[in-house]
Amino acid sequence: MTDARKPQGDRLSEAEAIERAKQGNAEAFEELYHLHKRRVYSLCLRMTANTAAAEDLTQEAFLQLFRKIGTFRGESAFSTWLHRMAVNVVLMQLRKKGLPSVPLEETMETDGESAKKEPGAEDARLAGSIDRLQLEESIAALPPGYRTIFVLHDVEGYEHNEIADLVGCSIGNSKSQLHKARMKLRELLKTSRAEKAGKP
Amino acid sequence: MTCEEFQRVLTQPESGDTMEQEAHLESCSPCADLVGDLKAISQQARLLQGSEEPSPLVWNSIEIALRQEGLIRQSGTARVPLSTASARPRLGWLLPVAAAVLVAFGILLHERGGRSPQYAEQQSGLRSPVVELANDDVQLLRMVAERTPAMRAAIEADLRSVNAYVRDAEQSARNNPNDEVAQEYLLSAYEQRSMVYEMALDHSLP
Repeated sequence: MTDARKPQGDRLSEAEAIERAKQGNAEAFEELYHLHKRRVYSLCLRMTANTAAAEDLTQEAFLQLFRKIGTFRGESAFSTWLHRMAVNVVLMQLRKKGLPSVPLEETMETDGESAKKEPGAEDARLAGSIDRLQLEESIAALPPGYRTIFVLHDVEGYEHNEIADLVGCSIGNSKSQLHKARMKLRELLKTSRAEKAGKP
Repeated sequence: MTCEEFQRVLTQPESGDTMEQEAHLESCSPCADLVGDLKAISQQARLLQGSEEPSPLVWNSIEIALRQEGLIRQSGTARVPLSTASARPRLGWLLPVAAAVLVAFGILLHERGGRSPQYAEQQSGLRSPVVELANDDVQLLRMVAERTPAMRAAIEADLRSVNAYVRDAEQSARNNPNDEVAQEYLLSAYEQRSMVYEMALDHSLP
């Protein structure tokens, strides 16, 4: 094996850490955790909107990964493998809790209702002034089905075919629900902004 | 094309940009604002990827589970070059002793209840990182600093986190003396603290 260490300090490269973790090396496990913890935890937090649940799921995702690391052959990127595992852990948990990981049409407004709204009657546009905290709060306030699709596509960058595969819906449904999720977020952001403006 | 028709087209997954839609956007500022907002939401959302940091306790729990399951089969020797491999067994007895001392120390504090000012501040927040270090902690950190200075900050952060966990668990057990879950929570907190000590000694012993 070539020396694939990172330039700074004595930190292990990911490839080296994977090989050492397969041998049961504690430092390698820790390095892999630190390399990926933020993305996995953020994913869990966005999808559950609950800090304690997100920490539990992060723990579960990494444990599942480390238990199976001996089977990792490197055909796919390690991060892809890990994040897909994390998504599956979260989706499994949502299903266990009876929360819809797949968008439920009946819980959402119909296309017709959406189209009946008069966009011109609403207040000024959001673009360029979306506060990060408000966006986080609005995502947390989304119905779970909307939130799942939105987080997977817009935050995590999954394609619709991947989302359809992960959550068990059609590609068309994923696209449609993403649009509705964004519309709902826009509405929530405007409400949040109006409430903020109304405060003394 | 009307605004209603434009918005209906937007919700249809397979609808691409058509000349008609583009013409409508150029002439209708509310619909242009809508499309701009949706794009802005999407762009801003991408910035949330990997934006949050989990509590240090998450790694502690993972490491404990990995050790219990036997997945960690060797210590983190790469961090600390060992002076001599044969020197380790001479101080190995410290590990179980440290664990026993910690459990006894924890039980003592638990029995003392609210008399200790450190443990009286129970409502200051779950897993607060601002927690006093006990004398044992200070001694441990001194030992870590002597052997592996680079690890001191990480161990101190772990100790503060786990102390906060112990403090919350003790409060919970005091408030609910007959609650088995609270008692299990407390035992788990002591175990985690023990494990932090064990890991610190693991990294620090020659």
